[in-house]
Amino acid sequence: MADVARVESLTKRYGDLLAVDDVSFSVREGEVFGILGPNGAGKTTTLECIEGLVTPTAGAISVLGMDAARDADAVKRRIGVQLQASAYFDYLTLTEILDLFARIYDCAAASADLLRSVGLVDSAGATMEKLSGGQRQRFTIAAALVNDPDLVFLDEPTAGLDPQARRSLWDLVSAMAQDGRTVIMTTHYIEEAESLCDRVAIMDRGRIVALDTPRNLVRSMSDPHRITLALDGVCGADGLRALRSVTDVTAGDDGAFVLRSSDPTETVPALTRWLAESGFALTRLEIDTDTLEDAFLALTGRELRE
Amino acid sequence: MLVLHLTVANLKMILRNRQALFWALAFPLVFVFVFAMIGSFSRSSAVTVGVVDRAKDDASRQLLSGLDAFDVVMRDDEAQARLDARSGDLGYLLIVPERLASLARDAPPASVTLVYEEGRQGAVALAVERALARMDLALAGVSPKFALNTESLASDDLSFAQLALPGLVLWGIMSNSIIGMAVVLANYREKKIFRRIKVSPMRARTFFAAQVMAYLALSLAQAAAIFGIGAAVMRVDLSGNLLAIGLLIVACNIVFLNLGFIVGAFSKTAAAASGLGNLVVLPMVMMSGVFFPLDVLPRIVAAVTRFLPLSPMVEALRGVAIGSKALSDFPLEIALIAAWLALTSMIAVRIFKFE
Repeated sequence: MADVARVESLTKRYGDLLAVDDVSFSVREGEVFGILGPNGAGKTTTLECIEGLVTPTAGAISVLGMDAARDADAVKRRIGVQLQASAYFDYLTLTEILDLFARIYDCAAASADLLRSVGLVDSAGATMEKLSGGQRQRFTIAAALVNDPDLVFLDEPTAGLDPQARRSLWDLVSAMAQDGRTVIMTTHYIEEAESLCDRVAIMDRGRIVALDTPRNLVRSMSDPHRITLALDGVCGADGLRALRSVTDVTAGDDGAFVLRSSDPTETVPALTRWLAESGFALTRLEIDTDTLEDAFLALTGRELRE
Repeated sequence: MLVLHLTVANLKMILRNRQALFWALAFPLVFVFVFAMIGSFSRSSAVTVGVVDRAKDDASRQLLSGLDAFDVVMRDDEAQARLDARSGDLGYLLIVPERLASLARDAPPASVTLVYEEGRQGAVALAVERALARMDLALAGVSPKFALNTESLASDDLSFAQLALPGLVLWGIMSNSIIGMAVVLANYREKKIFRRIKVSPMRARTFFAAQVMAYLALSLAQAAAIFGIGAAVMRVDLSGNLLAIGLLIVACNIVFLNLGFIVGAFSKTAAAASGLGNLVVLPMVMMSGVFFPLDVLPRIVAAVTRFLPLSPMVEALRGVAIGSKALSDFPLEIALIAAWLALTSMIAVRIFKFE
């Protein structure tokens, strides 16, 4: 598949602050590409460099086969942008704002269809100030789609929304992908990146520390699986530590053991054999896999919290 | 055309912001009413003539008919009337002795007394003298061979209210254009609407032109309203050429809008824009001959303020709207306005960004 956006050695410096530090990646056609990271990681600056809002200090960016700096006007016509916390005109109705933006892009106004697609058809005659936070975010998505763009940028689309409003926004992003649009979005919610994005770039302190599908990011960790078990008698940890693919054993709550395993398909049969030999019976068994959050913690050394 | 569509959208936004619209009109109109009141007050106090008429005969009636042009108040109590004249409640006090007609016939000269504040000269004393002279001639049976016609120079003799009205109009459109425009721009910046526009293909000059056209339409309506209401309330005769007045207002208002763009470019928030806008507006209003003529300022200050944008505008609009002069009578003023137009346009276009 063709690359819709390519970023090469992008660097942005604000005085002494290095906001984006030598970042390179490419976004494929039709994918939902996520940039995940804590506040101040450089996500928004990276996005705004690609959108043409911010002039990079160094590096090359191409969007839809065009040079982002040289062909900025042509690029603007084919991208849709939802900015973080941006408002629209106070005294115009939703329909009037969408009609005005359709004029700006010199394309046919389809405000009714756009409002229907984001579930705001009943508020067509209302002004922005009458909308709830979730409705406002949905409207900014409608406004980003006025020109039927090939590439859509969403900057923290669900920041500050309640869980229900967040779900309804996720549906909109999924719908965009189904329509064949490419989406580049930033987020600092792990579960958002996990459930929406085809690929995720993890950003920290201006750099990309990892980039892959959410599943591969987790898999790339050395021993991402956790086996928690409890026995009907007392024994030491040495026997368990010797099981195949087990890398570590720690004490869990209530006398349980927590085994770290690089491959549970080898560890579990070995555990069964060991139980038969040692005569112990299981009173508890849980097998689970680390989440993207654990991967993030391992990669950046810090938790992802607002 | 995007620019027309955007102009209409801007006008909608202006008209829907009811509170701002109300004050844009109400503020200058409050001053129109205040100035109208000051004007009528000063007119009535100047010409009140108290008369103590003890004669009440043909001669006194003839004398008093000569004072028709003034506001005459008949008084009975001479002592009280003299006190009122001293305190200023009466501008003049005319005292007519008993039996004026018979005194003139039997023991001339029969004298009447006119009491007025020292240094106060004028029309009332002249009118009394003229009436007495006419009565002398009539008594002698001589018909007058000479007569004096008086003509007041209405077009040059402008009242305070008449002088003030064009300045109030300019002040109204100026404060609305500079502060209104600056606040709108700062608001767009504060709410990041500019950033949203910047990622769209809209050009800065399209945005600029649509803002200017919308505010020009508003200012022309505003000027018409203040001129209209002011002329009615202040009894000002608007004899000027409407086209010349309109052209002048358009040119002046573009200068104001450019200044608004410049102020807006330097203001991070709407509150800052309002403050900075007032800093530009208020000194100009004070120093450009809106409220008092430039001649009363110290010579050095006047020499500087004469070149502020508002000064030539007030001078030219006053002449064109009230004094029935043509634009060509103000070459210096028009040149100054044109210079400000060019300068502010250049700076505004260069400084404005969607940031």
